[in-house]
Amino acid sequence: MENTLEFKNVNYYYQTPKDEIFALNNINFNVEKQAFASLVGPSGCGKTTILSITAGLLKPSSGQILLNGQNKIDSKKIGYMFQRDHLFEWRSVWKNITLGIEIQKPKDKAEKFKLAEELLKKYDLYSFINQKPRSLSGGMRQRVALIRTLTLEPDLLLLDEPFSALDFQTRLSVCDDVYEIIKSEKKTALLVTHDISEAISMSDKIIVLTHRPATVKDELVLNLEGKTPLQKREDKNFSSLFDKIWRELTNEQKNN
Amino acid sequence: MSKKITNFSKTHKQYVRRLRTTKGLIIFFRIFVLVAFVGMWELLAQTHIIDPFFFSCPSRIVKQLIQMAQAGTLLTHTWVTLYETLLGFAIATVLGYIIAVALWWNEKVRKVFEPYIVVLNSLPKIALGPIIILWVGAGTKAIVLMCILICIVITTMTMMNAFMSVDEGKILLLKSMHANKFQIFRKLIVPNTMPDLVSVLKINVGMSWVGSIMGEYLTSKAGLGYLIVYGGQVFKIDLVMAATVILCILAYLMYFLVSLIEKKYGRK
Repeated sequence: MENTLEFKNVNYYYQTPKDEIFALNNINFNVEKQAFASLVGPSGCGKTTILSITAGLLKPSSGQILLNGQNKIDSKKIGYMFQRDHLFEWRSVWKNITLGIEIQKPKDKAEKFKLAEELLKKYDLYSFINQKPRSLSGGMRQRVALIRTLTLEPDLLLLDEPFSALDFQTRLSVCDDVYEIIKSEKKTALLVTHDISEAISMSDKIIVLTHRPATVKDELVLNLEGKTPLQKREDKNFSSLFDKIWRELTNEQKNN
Repeated sequence: MSKKITNFSKTHKQYVRRLRTTKGLIIFFRIFVLVAFVGMWELLAQTHIIDPFFFSCPSRIVKQLIQMAQAGTLLTHTWVTLYETLLGFAIATVLGYIIAVALWWNEKVRKVFEPYIVVLNSLPKIALGPIIILWVGAGTKAIVLMCILICIVITTMTMMNAFMSVDEGKILLLKSMHANKFQIFRKLIVPNTMPDLVSVLKINVGMSWVGSIMGEYLTSKAGLGYLIVYGGQVFKIDLVMAATVILCILAYLMYFLVSLIEKKYGRK
């Protein structure tokens, strides 16, 4: 299977006035095309740094990152979804969704607008296009944020704890929604999460990281039964996987 | 999405009625305070409990205003001050905003100038009065400059702080979409800080009147500030009070106009 994303011996360190911090130590992993991968690890281990490096917001100190096998990453092919939806309150839902198109001014602008319209219709948000974000529920806001990212047709979606600001019930249903949208749009995704059960229920692969400087401790390929994350939570292997990752993270905490 | 209820219950109707009554009472008492103050002032002056020579009284102020209107001086003096204030207000707001943008744009420049701005902000601008007159000469130019000096620092400081406090996450979102600095400014910083600009306008309404009147105290041949100084010197308290009343009305009108802008762009 073709890889959408590959990290090869990636190191990252940064300086503060009093220290030099070694954040990522020889990171190696890949995410196959149309797969859903998750990064889990102790707090502050460098999960978000991996996403920022992938998105081109930070430069690695050494190592290689390949997108679709290419060394030179076109970061316009990468979509980023953040912890908070970051919808602009003064803009309507439509204006929020088309923000990326306004900024990137792509040549196929008309097609992108059409795609935005189709996505809104498909995911039951079309009747809200003229409304301001404040009239949407938390779950709807995250769906709008996801469609805003998808409108730019990225090859890879980076999800930085996009559900952490939601209450538990909304979180479960938004997880299902986002998962369904990503799968039906045939996108490759890399999720950063603190929530082990969320990672297990959504992912085809889980990459477990160590404490800082982060290295890949374990890679788990999952094959749970069920079409949606909620259904996958009922799989008989779910709790054993949870225990395994939990133990790995707890050991990491103790070693630190 | 919350649905709109069209059939209101009895309790809701009572609630709306209570709200309306409270609102009506507030308006009534606002007018009452003004009428009572003016009435008491007039009564105390008429009965000579206070000396109208030193305290004036509403009827004498009205008489003074009518006299000035008939002589044509009321409009001239009002226009002079209004012109200076509006010009100072506009230049200070635009220039202060532009400086704030420049400081936001370049972090190093901002760090260099930050302490100077803080010092300038705490400096009483009236202290610069004699220098201003020496530099630009006595008259309108000096008054407008005084007005600008009073408003510009607070405009720059408020707007710069507003630009700096825009949510980093939103900036990161735009960066992840490959927005350049100008796009970040236009799509995020400007609209996000509109309520702060409205607050600055509100502050500047008051400050620009302070500036123009102070300027007229220092150097002027016409204007409401000039009338106040002149009236004070020749013990024509009616003239001082008449000019003050016009000032109150103009300042309120300007504040009212800004509050209309606030309804559209202010913090909701």
